[in-house]
Amino acid sequence: MSGLFDTLSVIILLTSFVLVANKRIKSYIKTFRIQSAFIALAAGIMGIQSITSEGRIDVLVVCFVIVVLKVIYIPKLLNRTYSGVEYKVEKDFILNIPILVLICCGLVVFTHFCIASIDGISQGYNDLQIINSVSVVMIGLFFMISRKKAIGQIIGFLVLENGIFITAMFATDGMPFIVDMGIFIDMLTAVMIMGIMVYQISDKFDTINIDKLNKLKG
Amino acid sequence: MGALQIENYIQMSVLLFTIGALAALALGKRDRLCNLVSNGICIASGLLLMVASVMKLLGASGLIQIGLLRSTLPFLALEMKIDNLSALFLMVLSVLVVCVSIYSIGYISHYYGKRKVGLFNFLYITFILSMIFVFTSSNAVFFYIAWEAMSLLSYFLVIFESERMENQRAGTLYIVMTHIATAFLLIGFMIIYSYTKSFDLFGSSDAIPDTAKNIIFILFVLGFGTKAGAIPVHIWLPYAHPAAPSNVSALMSGIMIKTAIYGLIRFLLDFLGVQHVWWGALLIGVGIVSAVLGVAYALMEQDIKKLLAYSSVENIGIILIGLGVSFTALAQGNETVGALALIASTLHAVNHTFFKGGLFLGAGSVHYATGTKDIEKLGGLIKSMPITALLVLCFSLAISAIVPFNGFISEWLTYQSIFAYISPGQPGTNILFILAVAALGLAGALAAACFVKLFGISFLGLPRSEEISHVEEVPVVMNAGMGILAALCLLLGTFPLVIIRLIDGVAGELIGRSVFDQLQGGFVITWYSMDLTGTAISPFEILIALGVLTLLALLAIRVYGGKYIERKYGTWDCGFEGINSRMQYTATGFSKPVKIVFRILFRPSRKTEAIGGTDYYPDRIEYKVASESIFEKYVYLPAYSRVRTFSRKAKFLVQTGSIHNYLIYIFITILVLMAYNRFV
Repeated sequence: MSGLFDTLSVIILLTSFVLVANKRIKSYIKTFRIQSAFIALAAGIMGIQSITSEGRIDVLVVCFVIVVLKVIYIPKLLNRTYSGVEYKVEKDFILNIPILVLICCGLVVFTHFCIASIDGISQGYNDLQIINSVSVVMIGLFFMISRKKAIGQIIGFLVLENGIFITAMFATDGMPFIVDMGIFIDMLTAVMIMGIMVYQISDKFDTINIDKLNKLKG
Repeated sequence: MGALQIENYIQMSVLLFTIGALAALALGKRDRLCNLVSNGICIASGLLLMVASVMKLLGASGLIQIGLLRSTLPFLALEMKIDNLSALFLMVLSVLVVCVSIYSIGYISHYYGKRKVGLFNFLYITFILSMIFVFTSSNAVFFYIAWEAMSLLSYFLVIFESERMENQRAGTLYIVMTHIATAFLLIGFMIIYSYTKSFDLFGSSDAIPDTAKNIIFILFVLGFGTKAGAIPVHIWLPYAHPAAPSNVSALMSGIMIKTAIYGLIRFLLDFLGVQHVWWGALLIGVGIVSAVLGVAYALMEQDIKKLLAYSSVENIGIILIGLGVSFTALAQGNETVGALALIASTLHAVNHTFFKGGLFLGAGSVHYATGTKDIEKLGGLIKSMPITALLVLCFSLAISAIVPFNGFISEWLTYQSIFAYISPGQPGTNILFILAVAALGLAGALAAACFVKLFGISFLGLPRSEEISHVEEVPVVMNAGMGILAALCLLLGTFPLVIIRLIDGVAGELIGRSVFDQLQGGFVITWYSMDLTGTAISPFEILIALGVLTLLALLAIRVYGGKYIERKYGTWDCGFEGINSRMQYTATGFSKPVKIVFRILFRPSRKTEAIGGTDYYPDRIEYKVASESIFEKYVYLPAYSRVRTFSRKAKFLVQTGSIHNYLIYIFITILVLMAYNRFV
């Protein structure tokens, strides 16, 4: 079973690489949807496992919520936000794509270098999974830095959250149900607020490039 | 029914204050009702608190636990306990709160319809509440929280009239200074914790080594000294106190700066225990400088409230001298003098609370009636505001240490404790003590001059402008609030042993030595006298003697002078008709001799400028005098400009306003933390 999760974690990591390599905003949302689907798959397998072995249904419910929220609802919300503000193909990233991907490779290596030394992880079966999922967190944060448009920041934040979720899931075989639910609701609220903010920014500055925001500085 | 215990009274009072604060917010729309309700609640709960603290001071000594709220956060327990020291300060706080709240019922009426009365009263009550917590907290974390809450709430009150730029500037200066001071306190608490593994204020400090104690002493003197307004860290005080509304200034100057005195006694004398003579010597030194320079600057001010604020610096100096003498005596093992000096300094803190609170209320009345705080624009107020004038005169006499009032008692005791400790064989401390006596004398004389100026220029003479001549007496409630304080000043001055009996419990508990019995004489009237090593004085007798002498003098004039004819007529004007108010002695003129004598301190400069016309016949001549503040110019301004340049640069380099930059900061921090985890 561990091998299956290893594979899934590698696939999730790969989807974040795909995200960094994406050029268009529409495809950010698509990639995020795919990544969330894989996470839901991992959670589903883990949920079935925990039902058969311990009789707990929690993880399966979490899987269901992921499907509803991250695979269906939030991408739809983002698509709507995006089509509401502007549609223009232009260079959205700070450095060019190959360099960004290379930096992300470096991040994975760095994460491996830092995480592998923690006691209790290097001996455990979930060594690779933890490293991959923490790398997803770092790549999500890096993605936020590398994109200019506000949608990029939202997606980066969501990927970062995905990374934290799978880190917790792989490390503990499912966190307490109430914590997971709390995090999902927080995330949903954050995305809604950020969606509204994108409208506001677009309204004020006629663009959603967030580097215009430095005019707000006092 | 079980009798109410002391802790129940205090719990009820805290609860009432909380209700009052919420009521003030809830009734925010209806100004008059809100003001009446919240001040009424303040008076009631202040009375409860007063009863409780007097019961504690008269009753058994020892710690009384008032309340305990635990939380899951480490170290954070809201634990309230009182001993006699806390009870004394609580009593003073409650008396002042009752009087100021009575006064506020009238005073706040000029905010009706113009400002948010509900918000003001909410801040006012929570400010009082935070001071109660400062005095009752029994662990350092809670003390720190209460202390910080007190600073922040008073900051909001200082900038309450925020449309004026100078108030905002005063508030900023205040909050910066008080935060730096709090940082020193925090470092001190952490050092204490690192040795004792406990934040308990009533615990033992045996585990702290000597060097650490010295460092903690310096930190606490800096931290508490700033809040007390001791020179040279007084800089915020003369700006913040005048900026606040007058009832808040009365609380700030009356009791808030005393929280620092409480802190010094609580942490240094009680918790750490005095070990070195130089601790006392340092406090005496700071006290001397504050007393003399404070009053010298006060004499130069033309703004009533600024003058009073500087006078607070002076009085803090006197309190610190007393405390320093106590520390020195305790370090050398002389507990009697230690206790006596501690009583003297806490008594002066109590007295200063009453008369300075009253004076700030008086300044508020003057401002309420005339709309100005500038002494140069006032004049002749005694005719239109006789009661206010009489009360301000009482407070002025008290602060100038004139006999039947309370200021005299504490200053006299301070002198006595110093004299009692000057003895042959210790030249170092003796010189310091003699200097302290000289400084006290000088400060006393200058303070008297200062209040002659305040009272004489603003209340006597002729009105200096048309508006001032038509002012009306302030509402009765305002005078009632001040009247209680004035009566207390007179009462404590005439029967000092009443209050000394209460304070003696503090010294008895902290030092373990009661000096009350040595302060009593054996005469019939002088049951309320004070007797110490051969020097005895009975203020009550003096008062009676004064009365009898006055009567005798009047009688003598009546008997020997024969009948005289009284004629009421204008002052003789040397044949120069039309004496007007511009010919009066001005406040600037009054303080000029002192300014010339102390020119090294004030650096006076004057400029005469002829405007218009020819050189020999100008249309107008302008004469400007200015004095500069050496602390601001040579200490604070250079430091400020350095910090400002640095922040400007940092703002352009670091705080760019770009979200990407901020994200990169977070990213780099996380990477560094991960790397740190790998290597360490």
